[in-house]
Amino acid sequence: MSYLSISHVTKQYGDTVVVDDFNLDIEKGEFVSFLGPSGCGKTTTLRMVAGFEIPTAGKILLDGADITDKAPNQRNVGMIFQAYALFPNMTVAQNIGFGLSVRKESKEMVAQRVDEMISLVNLEKHATKYPYQLSGGQQQRVSLARALAIHPQVLLLDEPLSALDAKIRVSLRAEIRTIQKKLGITAIFVTHDQEEALSISDRIVVMNSGLMEQVGTPFEIYNFPTTVFAANFVGSLNNASAEVVDPANSLISIDGVQFESGIDLKERRKGDKVRVAIRPERLSFASEQKKANVVDATIENITFLGSVVRIQLKIGNTKFNMDTFNNPFLELPKIGAIEQVTCSREAVLVLDE
Amino acid sequence: MKSNTNNSRSVNSTVGGAKRPPRIPIGHWLGVLPFFVFSGMFLIAPTLVLAYRSLEGPEGGLTLDNYRQLASDTVMNSYGMSIKISLTTAILGGLIGFVIAWVVSMGGLPPRFRLITTTFSGVAANFAGVPLATAYVFTLGRVGLVTALFKMFGVNLYKTGFSLYSFFGLTLVYLYFQIPLMVLTILPALDGLKREWREAAENLGATQIQYWRYVALPVLTPSILGTMILLFGNSFGAHATAYALTGGLFDLATLLIGRQISGDVLHNPGLGYAVAMGMVFIMAFSIFIYSILQRRSERWLK
Amino acid sequence: MTTTPVSPAIATNKRPVTTQRLGSWLIYLVVSLYFLIPLAATFYWSLRGKKDVLSFEAYRKLFADTSFLPAFSQSIINAIATIFLCLLIVVPTAYWVTLRLPKLRPVVEFITLLPFVIPAVVLVFGIIRLYSAPPLLFTATYNSSRVVLICVYVCLSFPYMFRSVDNGLRAIDVRTLTEAAQSLGANWVTILFRVIFPNLRVALLSGALLTFAIVIGELTIALYMAQHTLGPYMSDLTRSKVYEPSAMAIVAFAITWAAMGIIDFVGRGASRQAQKTEAE
Repeated sequence: MSYLSISHVTKQYGDTVVVDDFNLDIEKGEFVSFLGPSGCGKTTTLRMVAGFEIPTAGKILLDGADITDKAPNQRNVGMIFQAYALFPNMTVAQNIGFGLSVRKESKEMVAQRVDEMISLVNLEKHATKYPYQLSGGQQQRVSLARALAIHPQVLLLDEPLSALDAKIRVSLRAEIRTIQKKLGITAIFVTHDQEEALSISDRIVVMNSGLMEQVGTPFEIYNFPTTVFAANFVGSLNNASAEVVDPANSLISIDGVQFESGIDLKERRKGDKVRVAIRPERLSFASEQKKANVVDATIENITFLGSVVRIQLKIGNTKFNMDTFNNPFLELPKIGAIEQVTCSREAVLVLDE
Repeated sequence: MKSNTNNSRSVNSTVGGAKRPPRIPIGHWLGVLPFFVFSGMFLIAPTLVLAYRSLEGPEGGLTLDNYRQLASDTVMNSYGMSIKISLTTAILGGLIGFVIAWVVSMGGLPPRFRLITTTFSGVAANFAGVPLATAYVFTLGRVGLVTALFKMFGVNLYKTGFSLYSFFGLTLVYLYFQIPLMVLTILPALDGLKREWREAAENLGATQIQYWRYVALPVLTPSILGTMILLFGNSFGAHATAYALTGGLFDLATLLIGRQISGDVLHNPGLGYAVAMGMVFIMAFSIFIYSILQRRSERWLK
Repeated sequence: MTTTPVSPAIATNKRPVTTQRLGSWLIYLVVSLYFLIPLAATFYWSLRGKKDVLSFEAYRKLFADTSFLPAFSQSIINAIATIFLCLLIVVPTAYWVTLRLPKLRPVVEFITLLPFVIPAVVLVFGIIRLYSAPPLLFTATYNSSRVVLICVYVCLSFPYMFRSVDNGLRAIDVRTLTEAAQSLGANWVTILFRVIFPNLRVALLSGALLTFAIVIGELTIALYMAQHTLGPYMSDLTRSKVYEPSAMAIVAFAITWAAMGIIDFVGRGASRQAQKTEAE
């Protein structure tokens, strides 16, 4: 029996379906990310768990209790907003203690819990400051402390890092993950940044236009995407149309160039049109090590990106990106040259459209 | 045309203290010159004249006597009535205006009502003066429509001591432009209440009432207070409506000054000027407090 | 598409707020009555010009009054002169303060607060004392007093005009526009009249309409400066005639409503325009 169960939840505004049959079982202590572009329904789903939207259909169960229709102030879930939403007329300490004072806890209890939370997020020196005196990162940490102070059963984070500078984003997301692990609290994290989702989640739900595209661990989603959208949205990808040449041996052909795929194609017929994806970092030069697939490629362009060197190739008539780690002693091929490029069977992904 | 002498009063007094920016062409000063000339001639100078003359004794020397005489009965009665009416309309107008602003922005009324209300508020605020006074005479004056309606039900309004030309009547009339002023000024502040604050409060377990008590009202208080002070000043300095209603014969500070302009009713010109300057000080003080509160509320509501 | 029945509560997002909604309607209704009754009463009386029958007699008499049209036209001309002068003064001022003399901004904003600090009756007191005696005898003749009156009105409109123009300048990013025009070789006259003014049309219209509303019915200053404008005329009317004042009040209301309506209408179009430009 999972801790948080979102079952067949749909949200409709008039004729527009914003969330379509969302199903997810979350274990206690799990960190799940909803990942997708703007408008995909991830925030709406989160807000339904928080109680700010009511599902048109479906149920939400928390620790066995049906909370689908419960008012937001009775759910004991802690929410963190993109815009921090700190109460401007209260100090950091008062903000953090708000949830407890509303529940009429004793002053000592509140003070003690507030101190606990302040040291949890490392804001000891700022307890008496007002929100306008704090930086964005600090305000978000207060927001986190405030939500955790009430001992919530679930922590809901609505794109909490989107408004922050890049460096703070990276350090704060690690901090959030550390705190979440330390407290063992179940968390749902909404973001459109795939790097964020990949780096801190136990599982990711990739969403698009109200639908769940794929659910899995970061490793699974990145390396074995099951849909074109998931493959495209997470990480960069080479995309090509191909034709099935030999279903029994999983052979496909891109513009006449033959590849062997690691995916079982026995269900398909010869001549079927499919979409094929290969991650740029799975391609390498055959001169270094030969793998299952070896093809000829024309070098079109070489871009130096720092730790990664991106080489644009043409295989057949299709452009491919190849990423290789920077090596100051590696001699790079000349533009216009034809080189042999290789990749393993498993690198050739065949996707549903 | 070198204009340093003309705008010396206003320009030098502003730049004095800060170092003069180097090499700014005279052309730039020309652009703002007319503004300073006009405000100097028709706003600042007249006030300075009044200030100077209020400090003039009967023999010509400088004295604070005129200000001491402000405590006299005639003056105190008028000032007192002005303050009474201004306080009452500021508080009442502020409360009612706030409630209406709340109703049209988050009270659940159809959105069209907000536009109707703001447009009408602009009109009502400008309706003040003779038209407003006239309208009330036809409503609650001795032969007004509502007075007649009351008579139909056997109630003779004027026998009960009610009069349009009294503290109660003036308060009623003044509210007609005070309430709209409050609505127009406080609506942006209500808009500034972020939706996330309410949601965060709900999420932390607060009821609607707790949210308003601990978050929304405290955040709005500087705006509400500030606008009430604005309302106070607005009522205190109002002349036209009271004049049109009472023919200038009522005991009100602005009407007193008006009578003084037409002739020396105080039998002491210096006192007349002091009365006028007294008004200016009270207005200046209220505008000052208002801008402080405005700045505080902007910090929270931007 | 739905596999389970819709939740027993509402399918939309609204919680039961009917009591709150009811309260809102009630409050709005009561307050509306307070505002509408005087208007209704005045309108009713304005139709009682002829004995025992409802007619527009009062209006006819009003417009036929020999002193009405002159007073009305004086006010209109005063208003137009005020608007024109005010625009000519405020726009360059706002422009220069924004672009070249930002240090003067606090001073300018302080000055625009003065009309609220100095009540009209006090101001006219000072004006009369200052300009009624040599060497500054500007109020010797009716027309010279009229000029002084218009100048005072210009100053009283500063707060509204300056705020309108200032907001307008902010919305059109005046600095960039000016630099673009300068790089194309324009001098400041050209910039002001061919670049700035046209782009500020909406802000200028708002400010102009507000000024119009203020000047047209102004009483206090016109009264004590013995000017025969609409304000003093209306005031006299209340003491001399019975029904015409109500017609006058309704006409005044209609004019003000028209002015405010135009401001709102134009203002909404402008904000849509600004949103479009921002989105680009």
